[in-house]
Amino acid sequence: MTESRTTVVVVDDDASVRRGLERLLGCAGYNVESFASARDFLARGDYDRPGCLVLDVRMPGQSGLDLHRVLVESHHDIPVIFITGHGDIPMAVRAMKAGAVDFLPKPFDAQALLDAIERALVKDRQRRRVTDRPINDRSV
Amino acid sequence: MVTAMKRRADAGPILATALLVCAAYYVGANVGFILRFPPATPSLLWPPNSILTATLLLSAPRRWGIYLLAALPAHLVAELGVFPFPLVLSLFVTNCSEALLAAICVRRFSDAPTHFDTLRRVVAFIVGAVLVAPFVSSFVDAAAVTALRDEPYWFVWRTRFFSNVLTELTLVPAIVVLITGAPAWIRRAPLRNKAEAVLLTAGLLGSLVAVFVEPQAGAYPIPGVPVPPLTFIVPFILWAALRFGSSGASLSMLASVLVAIWAATHGRGSFPVPLRAESVLALQIVVSILAIPLMYLAALIEERRRAEKALSERLRFEELLSRLSGAFVHLPSAEMDESFRTWLRRLGEFLGLERAALLRLSEDNELLTVSHCWVAPGIDPGPRSIVIRSFPETVERLFSEQPFVLPRTENHRDEPPKDEDARGQGRVSSQLTIPLVAGGRVLGGLAFDALAADRAWPEEEVQWLRLVAEVFASALARKETVDALGASELMKSAILASLSNGVAVVDRDGRVIAVNESWTRFGRESNATTYAGIGMGANYLETCRQRARQGTPHAWDALAGIEAVLDGSMTGFALEYSGSGPTTDRWFAMSVVPLNRPEGGAVVSHTDVTERKRAELELQRSRQELAHFTRVSTMGELSASLAHELSQPLTGILTNAQAAQRFLDVTPPDLGELRTIVSDIISDDKRAGEVIQRLRDLLRKDVPHQLVLDLNALIRDVARLLSSDALIRNVTITLDLDPRPLTVTGDRVQLQQVVLNLLVNAMEAMADGAEGDGSIVVRTQYTDVEAVHVAVQDAGPGLREGTHDLVFEPFYTTKPAGMGMGLSIAKSLIEAHGGVIWAANNPGRGVTFHFAMPVSIKGSE
Repeated sequence: MTESRTTVVVVDDDASVRRGLERLLGCAGYNVESFASARDFLARGDYDRPGCLVLDVRMPGQSGLDLHRVLVESHHDIPVIFITGHGDIPMAVRAMKAGAVDFLPKPFDAQALLDAIERALVKDRQRRRVTDRPINDRSV
Repeated sequence: MVTAMKRRADAGPILATALLVCAAYYVGANVGFILRFPPATPSLLWPPNSILTATLLLSAPRRWGIYLLAALPAHLVAELGVFPFPLVLSLFVTNCSEALLAAICVRRFSDAPTHFDTLRRVVAFIVGAVLVAPFVSSFVDAAAVTALRDEPYWFVWRTRFFSNVLTELTLVPAIVVLITGAPAWIRRAPLRNKAEAVLLTAGLLGSLVAVFVEPQAGAYPIPGVPVPPLTFIVPFILWAALRFGSSGASLSMLASVLVAIWAATHGRGSFPVPLRAESVLALQIVVSILAIPLMYLAALIEERRRAEKALSERLRFEELLSRLSGAFVHLPSAEMDESFRTWLRRLGEFLGLERAALLRLSEDNELLTVSHCWVAPGIDPGPRSIVIRSFPETVERLFSEQPFVLPRTENHRDEPPKDEDARGQGRVSSQLTIPLVAGGRVLGGLAFDALAADRAWPEEEVQWLRLVAEVFASALARKETVDALGASELMKSAILASLSNGVAVVDRDGRVIAVNESWTRFGRESNATTYAGIGMGANYLETCRQRARQGTPHAWDALAGIEAVLDGSMTGFALEYSGSGPTTDRWFAMSVVPLNRPEGGAVVSHTDVTERKRAELELQRSRQELAHFTRVSTMGELSASLAHELSQPLTGILTNAQAAQRFLDVTPPDLGELRTIVSDIISDDKRAGEVIQRLRDLLRKDVPHQLVLDLNALIRDVARLLSSDALIRNVTITLDLDPRPLTVTGDRVQLQQVVLNLLVNAMEAMADGAEGDGSIVVRTQYTDVEAVHVAVQDAGPGLREGTHDLVFEPFYTTKPAGMGMGLSIAKSLIEAHGGVIWAANNPGRGVTFHFAMPVSIKGSE
């Protein structure tokens, strides 16, 4: 089942937010993996697993936007949902233009996030159908 | 030229004296002829020799030739008709030689040839003039007479010798005394002495007449008992010798001898008729033998009387001196002038002077001014001041600090003519000036003038007057000191009176011993301060104690402060306090400083500092307003990052809560997981609460509140508050804090603002620099001088040269949007905490702001 292999990855520096999201998304039936920083996530590799990314914008070190740019530039078009405690309209517009699925200001409603994740997964599935070429041989 | 003038001036008196000698010689020779007892050439009494002797004794040896020559014409005129010329000449030679011999002997052995008032002088006179001179000269005389007149040699020698002994003995002292002493005696002797002299003369002459001139044969005082005639004369001569000294004795003897010899040669009186040579000789011997001891006796008595007089004079002077020094000890300065005048008068009267003056030397040593003066009635007081440049010798002597006498000639030479006129019309006969010296400084002089008579200044008298001068000088010096003290006292009270502060002086027990006008006015007008109104004599400490017990604020502090200054444990004390009663809105400053004097004490002053205090409070208030305003505006700038800071826990809470809802939908619900969720929610909520609390702290508008706190903890709080901002600015804040708590005393909000401002400043500086991987390092440590040191190091562009101090000025900013208040407020807050703040560029990049403040002596919170 492709569904069972679908994973939602959370990258947020705040431990409490990470734990809450793991519980919420776990409860909603998703596989959840969380990282405290962009570097930790990049260190794991294997970016082409089916699923989506929930990225905090402001983090010590590399920000969520930076991570997204790196992935886009290396053609890992994994759908991204931004969450941020400090967001403004220009930042949201930039993120959406770069291909983000959604941009959610903290604190957000659980349903809004789940809806965004659902849309992201749909997008991920469409993406995978359009490109039947394997993408795991592309390097970052 | 002076000598020539002097010679001319002297010529007159010499000529007059020579004429007088000539005339006297002539008269004396004639008297001698009358008293001659034929058939011998020598007379019974031969005055010319004695006249010559007296003349030589009275005159200077260089004039002797003149006076002896002057006698020659008289000799020739008197004797040429009587004797042949060769004899006349040889007689003149022997007469002169006798007078010369007598004069030389007396001058050689007597200390005062014209005085016969001590044993030595009388012995010198009797041996030299009365015995040796007639003895020697009579050999020559007898030889001449024997050769030319063929008279028996020894008879002539004997007659002449005894006659000359008698004449020299009686006549020389009489002449000398009459010339030297009589005028002064007549002028000065008291009336009773003169009366006594008259009585004595009358008695003596009466007796002489009764005995020699008109004797009643057989009428003796005791019938039938023959009494020698001299018995009645001797008492008068003794009287004269005892009461009038050698001069009295010689004069009375002269009178007796003259009368007796006249009577004898004229066949009168009690002498046998015809008179025999033996009886004449007997008379001469009797009188001479009587006269010599009488002269001795008179001299002894006079010597004794003079010694007694000197002794009593000294005693009187010493008594005067002791009264004088007694009078000036502890004499108040104000009475000194009167005392100086009184004592100058007493001294002048005592010494029989005409003028006694106290002269003061001016500061520049230019002017001698008569400050106090006494003059005898009818005497001109003389000039008030003397320019002493005109008296070089006087000045020199004054500064040699030795007494000196200005005799008549000296005055003439020293004084300019007009001064001479002003000064007793040039009648100053003699002036004694004794310098007044105190503490090595010449203050002036004591001048004593004798105007009317020649005045000798015996050494002893000068010594006494030096003692007087010492008393005067020390009194003067004391008066100067006291007057100077009085002047400085006046100045002090003038200064005190001019002060607007209320000033009170207290002694070491706290008793008020002096207050100024402001103090009195303070107390009278307003009852303004707790302490004003404490009057003279009241005890300040006691009053403080009472008011402290009545609950007056600060009274205990004031009491402790004054006591500490009085006992020397503090060198000064200051206290600010607000007024009480009707003056609660007024402020006063009290200061206590010790009185630097052996008996201790302190000066307490109170100043109304309301205006200053009001301005200070106003400034403090506006500083607080400004600090608050800048805190608020800083917070405004930080609002975005604060929103982020809050959004994290809020996201955690919301997410966890919604997850929990879903967990509850599952049956059975996983209670363990739910419990974990709830505790996560609680901790997130606390996190959010802390953020809000920190914000609220910073935004609070509060009066400063001093606490002991840990600066490290405070820095951690502020850094946490700014962590979101740092994150947004992409800046990291690294804390490198001393492991020990950094205990200081201060206001939490103010110190937080300092750290906040410094960190915000550092972050903004790095934003300007726009160079990535910016890191701010905050270091804290204890210094070795009881202080804590905080350094905030950034990696920005650093300060431009010359702006290190400027950055702390208000409204100084390099940022387009900055207000330029942050660092200036930090500076004023740190200084209000007794600290210092400064900035220094780093060796590499950026700048480090430092501040240091005292370690709290109390323990940590």
